[in-house]
Formats: sequence, C-alpha cells, structure tokens
Amino acid sequence: MATNVQSIVPDAASAASLPKQPSQAAERWRAFCRRRAALVALVILAAIVLACIAAPWLSPYDPYAGNVKERLLPVGSAGHLLGTDEQGRDLLTRILYGGRLSLLSGIVPVIIAVILGGGLGIIAGYFKGIINTLIMRTLDILFSFPAILLAIGISASLGPGISNIMISATIVFIPPIARIAETAVKEVKKEEYIEAALSSGAGTGLIIRFHVVNNIFSRLFVYSTTQIGICLMLASGLSFLGLGVSPPTPEWGFMLNNLKQVIFIDPIVTIVPGIFIFVTSLALNIVSDALSDVLDSKG
Amino acid sequence: MVAFISKRLLLFIPTLFGVSVIVFLMLQMVPGDPVNTIVPADATEEERMRVTRELGLDKPIYVQFIYWLVHMFQGDMGTSIIKRLPVSELLLPAVGNTLLLAAASAAVSFGLGLAIGVYSAYRPKSWAASLFNVLGLAGIGMPNFWAALILIGIFSVSLGWLPSSGMQSIGGGGLLDTFRHLILPTIAASLTTLGVMTRMVRSTIAGLLQQDFVFALQAKGAPAGKVLRHVLKNGMPTILTVAGLQFGYLIGGSVLVETVFAWPGIGQLIYQAIGQRDFPIVQSGVLVVAVAFVLINLAVDSLHAVLDPRVRHS
Repeated sequence: MATNVQSIVPDAASAASLPKQPSQAAERWRAFCRRRAALVALVILAAIVLACIAAPWLSPYDPYAGNVKERLLPVGSAGHLLGTDEQGRDLLTRILYGGRLSLLSGIVPVIIAVILGGGLGIIAGYFKGIINTLIMRTLDILFSFPAILLAIGISASLGPGISNIMISATIVFIPPIARIAETAVKEVKKEEYIEAALSSGAGTGLIIRFHVVNNIFSRLFVYSTTQIGICLMLASGLSFLGLGVSPPTPEWGFMLNNLKQVIFIDPIVTIVPGIFIFVTSLALNIVSDALSDVLDSKG
Repeated sequence: MVAFISKRLLLFIPTLFGVSVIVFLMLQMVPGDPVNTIVPADATEEERMRVTRELGLDKPIYVQFIYWLVHMFQGDMGTSIIKRLPVSELLLPAVGNTLLLAAASAAVSFGLGLAIGVYSAYRPKSWAASLFNVLGLAGIGMPNFWAALILIGIFSVSLGWLPSSGMQSIGGGGLLDTFRHLILPTIAASLTTLGVMTRMVRSTIAGLLQQDFVFALQAKGAPAGKVLRHVLKNGMPTILTVAGLQFGYLIGGSVLVETVFAWPGIGQLIYQAIGQRDFPIVQSGVLVVAVAFVLINLAVDSLHAVLDPRVRHS
C-alpha cells in the first residue's frame, strides 16, 4: 500500500502545479531540436507546405495555361526554374498548386482514420468479449490485403476522383490504427486510476472520455504521424494510376503519369514532380521517427 | 507442430471467406447498372431483362454472392468485358510473370538487406553504416513508380544499356533477354523492401548482440562466425515474419512498377482494366493477389513455428 501512495503522490503534485506542464513540453521540444536531421526535415516540410498554400502569390504563372512554343523547356530555363511540362505549362507552378491536393490526400485520410479507427479500437479494447471479437476480426480481414492493392480495388470500384482516393486510403489506414488503439486501451484498463474511477462511480462514457482517450492519445498521435508519409505515397501512387484527378488539374502523382509519356524526350523534366513526393515523405518519416523517440520515452 | 499448423489452416478459411466478401462488395460499389456495360445502348427492355436474369442480378444480393463464390471456386472468374476472353485465361500467365518479378525483387532485397543489416549492426559507428542508414530511409520514402521512371531515364534513355519496357524484345527471346528486361523493374520494386529489411535486420541483430548468450559464447572463445550463426538463428523468426509480409507487399506493389515498365503481370493487367472499366479483371486480379498474400502469411506462420518452438507451444 505504501508504494501505491508514493506513486500517487508525485502524480497528484504535478497535476496540482499546472505551470509545470509547459516545461515538460519545452523539454520535449528541446529533445526534438537536438536531432539536427529532424529539425532540418521539419523546416523543409514547413517550407513545402507554406509554398503550396502561397502558390498564387509565389508564382506569376497560371497552372492551367500552356504555351505551345515553350513545351518541355529544360530545368533551369530563364523564367521557368524547373522547366515546363508537355503542354508548356510552368512546372514549378503546377507542382506548388498540385501539392495542395497531394498534401491533403496524405493528411486527411490519416486524420479520419484516427477518428474512426481510434474510436473502433477504443470500443473494442474497452468492452472486450463479443464486441471486441466482432470489430477486430472484421478489421483483420482488411489486413489480409496488401494495402496498395486494397486501395486500388476500392478506388477503381468507386471511380476516379481525389475524394475517392481519400476514402480508399482511409479504409486502408483504419485497421492498423484501430489495432494500436485497442492494444493501448487494454493496457490502460489495467491501471489503478481506472479502477479508482470505477469504484467512485464514474460512468463508462466519462471514463473513456477522460482517462482512456487522454492516456492513449500520445501513442495514437505518434503512430499516426508515421502513417502520413506512407499515405502520401499511397495516394500519389493511386493518382499515378489515373484514379485521382482528371486533367488539367495539377497533382504530383498524376503529373508524373502525364510526363512519363515524354521520358524519351526529356528524362529530367519527367522526374521533377517525383522529387517533391520523395522529399516530403522522407521529411515526414524523419520527423515522425524523432517524434516517436521523444514522445515515447516519456509515455 | 501438426496441431499448430492445422489450427492456422482452420483460421485460414474464415479469412479467405472474409477476403472474398470484401472483393465482392467492391463490385457492388461500382456506380451504375452493370447490365449497361454488356447490352448495347439501344437494347429493348426485354433484352435487358434477359441479361439481368442470366447474370443472376435479379436475385437477392446474398444469393448473388454465393453464385459468385461457387464460380470462383470452380476457377470460373467470369469473362472480360473488353477482351471477351475468360478472365482466368488472362490472369494465369500474368500471375506467373508477377511472381517472377516479385521473386527477383525478394531475392535482391532480402539478400542485400540481410548483408547490410548485419554489417551495420556489427559496425554501428562506421561511416558505411551511417550511409546505409540514410539510404535505407531514402528507400522507404521513395515511391517505386518514381524510382522506375528515374531508372528508365538513366539506364534506358541516357545510357541506352537496358530495355525500358516489356519482358522480351520484339522477335527476340531467350533467357538472357528476359533477364535484361527484368533488371530495372527488379531494382525499382525492391528499393522500399530493401530499406525496410535493412533497418529491421540491423535493429534485431544489434539487440541480440547485447544479450548474455553472445557474451557467454565470446567468453568461451567461440569464433566470430559461430557467434553470428547463433545470433542469426535467434533473429530469424522476427526477420522471416517481416520478410513474409514484405513479399506480399512486393506482389501488391507490383501494380505500379509493372505499369511503368509494361511488365506483363497482374499489376499491368489490373491497370489496363481500370482504364477500360473492365471490372471482372480488376476484381479477380485483386482476389488472386489477396489470396496469395494470405497464403504467404500462412506459410510464414508455419515456418515460424518450425523455427521457433516457443511459438508452437504458446
């Protein structure tokens, strides 16, 4: 009993003195900043996101207006930093505009999957028994598909469109996120504070909202950040197959699809949009790696 | 052992059933009436009714599902809407070609991944290990269809060393020719897996090298090769599990690589079928790959049990 009291007291103390919280966050931020690679990756990521948002102010060109005389200008041409595409449109402009959809299709499915998959995982983990079996076995079946193939199958059935890509990507990411949530909830449920809450008459809804969600959130957050880079690649892959936007809308994966037809004329211009998919997903992976190191070590 | 594997086999049946339910549901998600893709636009109502009845589309959905499942089990995957050929006739050779590409990529990425991973675990501070670490991360973050385009740009367009598409030269043939066509798709397909394997092998082996049994072996004066053999044996279950999953991803991810290289596998077949809205092919293609994926997992689980007695008895 004595050990219990000891373990509770410091918790209560730190909870009572709220000003301590920001210092912990600051400590974690400092730990993150010590990882040079992660910091550089974060800056690059921020730059790409901001540039895509600010595309209309950064670029003097219209992403849709081509110029037959200026088709396939090489990288580094005067006025066209990254050259022009097969219809004479400025490539950098199209990449910046296209990044909006590409980045969205990397982030939105993961967010929705965290809400839906996290919810399912919490329900399955908290209630156990038949509810758990029903939810988790159903999700296991989705696990039996290679992710990209499941996404292709769903996307192809729903028909082309960026929103359909996001739907299929969401379905792909729900099972792994639900599994993480379920495992985490099962562990949390063994904790004494849950027992304390139960015996003091707290309702199920309150316990889930207050104790369970708060305690598994950081794990869920860390895991889902690792999924954003994967989702970006998945979505751009589907788009590359022609399952996403329709021409002339710019989007990174689909731009690669269009440019692959001119690879024998200009291989360098052809691969340019891919650099942005690559750098973004690499930066995301490095940042999320560092995040999980920094956040996981302290719970 | 037999008990373990037969238990896995029993679990395999509901999984397979679930997989087929999902593939069937995909077909139901297709917007529009499937009859429209078959009958001519000026068909009479009577004609439409006849086709609907022939396809069993007037039956309740669960009856349709049972029909479909029974046909699949008999190897009847329907008829391609565009090519007017039985789907199974189109799929079978494609499966072989996809497996060839996946096997080549697996050989490259597992072999190199094991070698690089073990090296990096033994020499974590060397510059080579740091370089491999960065390259591994790069491999994981690199979309394979983009890697494919880069490889074509360098080796086919600029250098002209290797062919950029297909499986055989026109009119030409022979094993060497196919091998030359296989090189670039294999590299493109294996990069991600190579990255995953290298990182995973390194962390597994590095963890094992810290264990007491290694120190005990070294203290007894065991040569480095013998220590490595013990370490590998202990790490194998983990490595094999990941490798099995990755092999499944190699087959699934081949859709993109095959598309770029026009490799005549299941991926390219699915890609063309998507463009032509030829759903029986998309459906069966997805089903075949998913079943292969489940089978591979089953095989890996069984192998796992053979190698690690702890799994068998748990």
